[in-house]
Amino acid sequence: MNPIDPTIHKVLDGEIGPEALSPAQRRDADRLGAAAALLAAAPVGASVEQRVMAAIQRPAPSAGRRLVRWALRPHAVVLRMRPVWSLALVASILLLAVLPSPEAGLQLGDEEGIAQFVGRFPGARSVHVVGSFNDWGPVSIPLEDRDHDGVWRAAVVLPEGTHEYMFVVDGERWVVDPLAGRFVADGFGRENSLLIVRSLRR
Amino acid sequence: MDVGEGPSDAEVVARVLSGEREAFGLLIRRYEPGLLRYATRMLGSRDAAADAVAEGLVRAYRHLASCRDPERLRTWLYRIVTNRCKSHMGRRPTGDVSLDDAPPIADPGDTEAALERAEALALVERALMTLSPEKREAFLLKHVEDMSYEEMAAATGERIPTLKMRVHRAREALLEALKEYQ
Repeated sequence: MNPIDPTIHKVLDGEIGPEALSPAQRRDADRLGAAAALLAAAPVGASVEQRVMAAIQRPAPSAGRRLVRWALRPHAVVLRMRPVWSLALVASILLLAVLPSPEAGLQLGDEEGIAQFVGRFPGARSVHVVGSFNDWGPVSIPLEDRDHDGVWRAAVVLPEGTHEYMFVVDGERWVVDPLAGRFVADGFGRENSLLIVRSLRR
Repeated sequence: MDVGEGPSDAEVVARVLSGEREAFGLLIRRYEPGLLRYATRMLGSRDAAADAVAEGLVRAYRHLASCRDPERLRTWLYRIVTNRCKSHMGRRPTGDVSLDDAPPIADPGDTEAALERAEALALVERALMTLSPEKREAFLLKHVEDMSYEEMAAATGERIPTLKMRVHRAREALLEALKEYQ
């Protein structure tokens, strides 16, 4: 774009008279003036008066109706954000998508099933489950009471078959699972709870 | 605005606000030609311009009580119609050439001077549409609607130095386009 001599702008802005222009500058100024005059004099379209008067005779739509109309109409939503924040947002979304929930992360083999342990131990500080599947305790499996309602839970992947188990409350009190349904003698005059795990893939 | 004959804008606005709905027709007849001309040049389409002006006038009627200075009703109306035009431009891709704006077919009864004038107008319209909406708006308000920079600021909500710069750039761009087409 070629800049116009500032004198032409001053004349067109009415700051100085046209006599300040050279013949070439006057031609440019006249050309712009003629263009504006043509645009100003050209006929315009048909009157909208009737249309407007008819519209204003009608009562204005209620606020509720305008809200519904607005909600149904498509709108562009522009979110202005620094690139660093948008990257952080994308990373957070990816992290949420990638991080498994505790139970969703359980990977099952062909001959494995999920055992759900549930026990009600109000006031307990910790609850673990031990059994034949972990040789009665070298690696105990903790239960959780996320809601702090005294109900402790754990989901564990175990090999298919029958397992004996017990709960260990606060690290010292061995408790049979009253909800187990099946029990078996432990050979020392007491009973263990009995659990049957079946593969989900059969 | 001082309209010579007839009641002033402030008087008509007061009548409309007091319930005399028909008095709004007086304001329409007073400002419609300029608004239609401006919207047509902004949008490049008579149909779209008629829609924008009609919508703008209905909106002006509904919000007439919020017009703080009825003596400056003209710039207030241009501001509303400018916003309607921007809304229409957002809906329609730029560069969309409307058939209703094609140069009129020559009538055998037209004089040679009238035909030349129609051709010259078509050329200016083409050149104008090559300008960005901001430059087009600045040139039209300044040179076609004959507004002062203060009135332009009221009509657009922009600062006067910004508008001066836009008018200067618009003149340069339009002159270049006119030289290219002629």
